[in-house]
Amino acid sequence: MEGFLEGFLTAIQPINILWIVLGGFLGTVVGMLPGLGPATAVAVLIPVTFGMDPTSAIILMAAIYYGAMYGGSRSSILLNTPGDGSAIAATFDGYPMAKKGQAGQAMAISAVASFIGGVLATIGFVFLAKPLASFALKFGPAEYFLLMLLTLSAIVSLSIGKMIKGFIAMSIGLLLSTIGIDPQTGIHRFTMGVPHLSEGIDFLIVIIGVYAVGEVFYNFLTINKEKKGPKDGGDSMGKIWFTKEQWKRSKWPMLRSAPLGFIIGVLPGAGGSIASMISYSTEKQISKKPEEFGKGAVEGLAAPESANNAASVGAMIPLLTMGIPGSGTTAVMLGALIMLGVRPGPMLFENDPVMVWGLINSMFIGNIALVIINVLLVGLLVKVLKTPAKVLYPLIIMLAFIGTYTLSYSTVDFYLLLLFGVIGLLMKVMDFPIAPLVLALIVGTDMEQNFRMALTSSNGSFSIFFSSWITVVLIILTVLSLFYPLLIKLFKKKKNDHTIAS
Amino acid sequence: MLKKWGILLLAVVFLTACSASNGSSGDGEYPSKNIEIVAPASPGGGWDLTARSVQKILKDNELVANNINVINKPGGGGEVGWSYLSTKDSHYLAVNSSLVLTNNLLGQSKLTHKDFTPLATLATEWQAIAVSVDSPYESVNDLFEQIKKDPKSIKIGVGPGLGNDDHLAFVQATGMKGVNAKDLNFLVYDGGGGDVVTALLGNHVDVVTTSLSEVKEQHLAGKLKILSVSSEERLEELEDVPTLQEEGLDMVFPHWRGIMGPPNMTEAEIQYWDEKLGEMVESEEWATLLENNDWDTFYQNSSETKQFMDEQEKLYKDLIDKSGLIQ
Amino acid sequence: MKIVKVGMPVLMILISVTFLISSFAIPKANLGNPNGPLYFPIGLSVLMLILSLIYLFNELKTMDGSYEKIKDLFDKKTLARIGVTIILGIIYSLIFETVGFLISTILFLGLLLFYLNGRKKWLVNIAVTAGFSFITWYGFSQLLGVSLP
Repeated sequence: MEGFLEGFLTAIQPINILWIVLGGFLGTVVGMLPGLGPATAVAVLIPVTFGMDPTSAIILMAAIYYGAMYGGSRSSILLNTPGDGSAIAATFDGYPMAKKGQAGQAMAISAVASFIGGVLATIGFVFLAKPLASFALKFGPAEYFLLMLLTLSAIVSLSIGKMIKGFIAMSIGLLLSTIGIDPQTGIHRFTMGVPHLSEGIDFLIVIIGVYAVGEVFYNFLTINKEKKGPKDGGDSMGKIWFTKEQWKRSKWPMLRSAPLGFIIGVLPGAGGSIASMISYSTEKQISKKPEEFGKGAVEGLAAPESANNAASVGAMIPLLTMGIPGSGTTAVMLGALIMLGVRPGPMLFENDPVMVWGLINSMFIGNIALVIINVLLVGLLVKVLKTPAKVLYPLIIMLAFIGTYTLSYSTVDFYLLLLFGVIGLLMKVMDFPIAPLVLALIVGTDMEQNFRMALTSSNGSFSIFFSSWITVVLIILTVLSLFYPLLIKLFKKKKNDHTIAS
Repeated sequence: MLKKWGILLLAVVFLTACSASNGSSGDGEYPSKNIEIVAPASPGGGWDLTARSVQKILKDNELVANNINVINKPGGGGEVGWSYLSTKDSHYLAVNSSLVLTNNLLGQSKLTHKDFTPLATLATEWQAIAVSVDSPYESVNDLFEQIKKDPKSIKIGVGPGLGNDDHLAFVQATGMKGVNAKDLNFLVYDGGGGDVVTALLGNHVDVVTTSLSEVKEQHLAGKLKILSVSSEERLEELEDVPTLQEEGLDMVFPHWRGIMGPPNMTEAEIQYWDEKLGEMVESEEWATLLENNDWDTFYQNSSETKQFMDEQEKLYKDLIDKSGLIQ
Repeated sequence: MKIVKVGMPVLMILISVTFLISSFAIPKANLGNPNGPLYFPIGLSVLMLILSLIYLFNELKTMDGSYEKIKDLFDKKTLARIGVTIILGIIYSLIFETVGFLISTILFLGLLLFYLNGRKKWLVNIAVTAGFSFITWYGFSQLLGVSLP
């Protein structure tokens, strides 16, 4: 623990504080923009980090990473257009809140939720880094498959009342995920000879298309009906701090979601999208007022926000303890650190304790700085809603195009973007839930590959899916998440029968 | 309010400082404008880092006076970036690796190395075959015997896709022991759900074939053991690990990276890069870069690279035919 | 409007059938399980087909439901707005790499603004177009180091 103090002193050096604040701010900005994410931001800064002290470099890169988790939900709340997979869950209740004229409150609570998630996860990091790293190793193909399955069932179960549509959206997403080269065999599937499709469809294009472009198209339906713009709530959006009541409702969900997100974040490959989704559906299922979820329930925003930020901290554990990147962003960070002559791995804690503890301490400071930055930005950001819709929409479309371009520097993706815009529009008009489609696309490839790898390693026996306690727990959770709504219905029916009878 | 603007101002200053904006001066013939290095991958990967290192070292040592930019063109295992390069003029270069050969051999691209001007082979990584610490196999020969006896009993972790050097190096090595590549029981880790090293550490696979840098630290920390490396001689820090040649397998398998230009570059332009890149690989920064990445120097100039590519193409064609990847 | 309500499930059925047929066209694998790449796509297409059929029957049962959103969609003005945006988007995609980011973006954004926001607000349109095109160009290509054409 003596490293802790030294690390703290490193983290509070003015130059490092400067990097924390700048990294956090830059992360917030790229998190808000569609398509651009922390991975890109870290990558473009690699040339800058060349000349830096490695500790400052990792502090800066980490600040960008969790800064983006703060920023990611801004556009979800304001415009119903998540910038990244981990911000999807923030649209469920964040956007309805904004529609109710609570955009400022929503952004404030999500900043505070991110803060709580980040700080709790950092504390977890201090005490649990090593045991969790070895826990993560227990996850083999079977466990990953079941984790993905749980995520999907959790999300489909959210679409109560339109289960069939939810499942259809999910199957489309899964089918789309099979496009490209099949990793296990090298066979091309559904690529139609287009080299661009051989690596599959980037889920970010689908997110931007279905959410951003689709939302704009959808608003064209009503653009003339609401003369003052789509969600002009007059002065009521001016409030930039949440109420006591809102705090009370979201306090426990935030505290519960942080450890959940943290643990999921430690698993390589899982990450923020899965963490936020599972925390959202968990909160909805244990809530006393599940019917308010999706209509602007403040805890439905706070929980996933806390979880995804905690996950970004968790993702640093496999990177630092094993040298294994658990997400796209940490992969880029690993590359940058190697260039600086630091090789994260099992010996990093022994060889370079000041660096590790400096990073951990910087995460405390960074989260404090970020909550301040983001709360200050609320006042500025709500002005986006005051922009007339007819000016705002063309700008969103333009940003969608540029964001898409930064993904692969190819205009082929523009056509995909427009196509998914139309698909998003149709789904909204026909009242389809969109999140199952996108989430299925995000986890689809891994789900199929892990399923097949599990069966290959068990020589075709399905018993591998029951072979460890982790798989059993995951199966139970999956069944619960699927049938919980049914159970609730049965329970309520009984209750109703009772009241009618009496 | 003041604070907010202060932060904004700082960010602007910071970002302006970061953006590599400087005037270029190109006098005379080649190069007459900015040099663009195409990294046919997303930012952060191996190709991107190679491109950015070349950019930085050429600039810092003032080897090239013109501005140098890195362009990312990811997709199709390099295909997108390279076909972009093939239409450009001689101010565009691209980073490459064996994929420039294998994409064509696997039927994923019409372009081959002959459609470009090879400029240099820059560096190489070595391949490693590793097992867990408590594995019963003490050498590659033990392991390959078992694979020969019962191929299904050994799960081999490889990633992120088949047809890459990790895969083909293992195919070549086992092939020398008479194992049919189609019988090998590969589990392909494509990134999601951890990578081959986590899989090995968690005992989800029996052996992994991967780049040396992925497993070196773990080996030194005693978390797994490297059975053999694909280099010519034993490597620094890993004096306890025999080479494949020492194990009786007559092969050296480099995982090389190089740089190439569009077709139809003039002799003078090739000459220019032979000189500049030749100087670059002598620099101290380059040496540091190699060391940090666990790469080895592997410099060959343009004409040597051309010959090397021809030889490599023959080798890869043979390996891919054996691997069963194509019908 | 009833046609549209049934159209969506029919479209879904067509998509699933297309996927199912092209799944069978996937070549057999030489490595590992030869049918490995087939199971998932075929299973999913069949699942989707079944779900779409259920969806179709559900829609047929509730033909008297509300059509407000669909009516809004088929409003001439709405269709025109969506159509114009898509066409401009396609043109943008076509010219993006040849004429460069700045010119194509100014054209795209400007035309879209003039179309949606009306000619009367020309001053706002021009200011926003110029301002945002430049800011995004500067932000992305200069500050974030994204190479734009």
